[in-house]
Amino acid sequence: MKRLAWLLLAAATPVAAQRPDLAGRLAGRVPAAVIPVVQSLSDSAVAHGLPVEPLFQKAIEGGAKGVPAERISAALQTVFVQLDGAAKAIRSGGASADVESITAGAFSLAAGLDSGQVRDLVRASLRANATAVTLRVSGMLTALGVPGAKVVALVSATLQAGGQPGDVLALPGRVQDGIAHGERPEQAAEGLARAAAARVDGGLGHGRGRTNPHRP
Amino acid sequence: MTAYHPLVKLVLDGELSLAELPPDLRAQGEAALRMVAAVDRTPVALPAALETRVMAAVRQRAASPWRRLFRPREVRLRIQPVWALALAAVAIAFFVIPRRYETRSPDLSARVAPESVLVRFVLYAPDAKQVALAGTFNQWNQAATPLVRAGNDGVWTATLSLPVGEHQYAFVVDGRRWVTDPAAPAMDDGFGRRNSVLAVSGRGRAS
Repeated sequence: MKRLAWLLLAAATPVAAQRPDLAGRLAGRVPAAVIPVVQSLSDSAVAHGLPVEPLFQKAIEGGAKGVPAERISAALQTVFVQLDGAAKAIRSGGASADVESITAGAFSLAAGLDSGQVRDLVRASLRANATAVTLRVSGMLTALGVPGAKVVALVSATLQAGGQPGDVLALPGRVQDGIAHGERPEQAAEGLARAAAARVDGGLGHGRGRTNPHRP
Repeated sequence: MTAYHPLVKLVLDGELSLAELPPDLRAQGEAALRMVAAVDRTPVALPAALETRVMAAVRQRAASPWRRLFRPREVRLRIQPVWALALAAVAIAFFVIPRRYETRSPDLSARVAPESVLVRFVLYAPDAKQVALAGTFNQWNQAATPLVRAGNDGVWTATLSLPVGEHQYAFVVDGRRWVTDPAAPAMDDGFGRRNSVLAVSGRGRAS
């Protein structure tokens, strides 16, 4: 019986640990009207198994930038919706929605991907067991100006060609190389996706027969 | 501190004589030589009890039970062939089995999570009086990470150790103007402005 009680306590700890003293951390850093909004959204986030830290971050960002309370509250609602949307997309993609993956998924949604694209990226990442990395990189590619559909195509092709998480991590830098060579972001992404697809068609596998798609 | 002419420094180094200096540098050379001559070269006399006190402190430190416990000792091992084989088998199991498992399940996010990477931020702001960095990595505190001016060309820099993950940030110029990093991609901050973004991977800055 005592063991059962300890087990229940241990199971409840991660959720309880997510309830920090938000009011104390926010006092003096955000307009007073924002604190109950953060508190309420944080309670909902904990209840839904979502991370709380992105809400806190957005609140203090608004406070630091001198944004009015109503606008901070609206931004907090948006962050909550993105966290919830990311968690659902990750689960529907077949991965476990841990804090790191949800945060990365919300980042990619904020960058401009939609939830269907996040779900497709999660599915593509399952074999490499790299959900968080895939979503983080996809958000970066979107922020670089690559359209969502091209982001999904590029990341999926890289993973399908046997790419490891390190190859996915290298994609934003490779797209930036293409941009530095005068390509538009979507052109750079297309070139890299074509190179990855060629590796699949040629049965080369990743890391063999690798060519630089930006080389004329 | 006095900044001497390079030729005067040669005089101080004994590579030139005072007479070899150009006339307009002779006064500076004489002043430099006077200053060097005025340096007190009397040997420093240490108190007689100093050595005794130092040696007593060293002996006390050496007598500490913890020091004796961790003092290096010579260890001699004689391994029988059968034990050598057993140790080799354990070593093979230790190095080979985990690697096989890792290639099946290479979750980089888990592997690199505790790592931090040094990232250098640079902003060209010739008219700025002060520049700071505020972002998710310093709780958007614009007092936490000031940039320093690098020379007189209007270039401001700061180098930070950032944990693996995605970070959003902006430069704050003169405490009031929020400026995105021209060298990094940017995204909507939800307040009608834009934040710069960077993703730090275990192998360095991803973007």
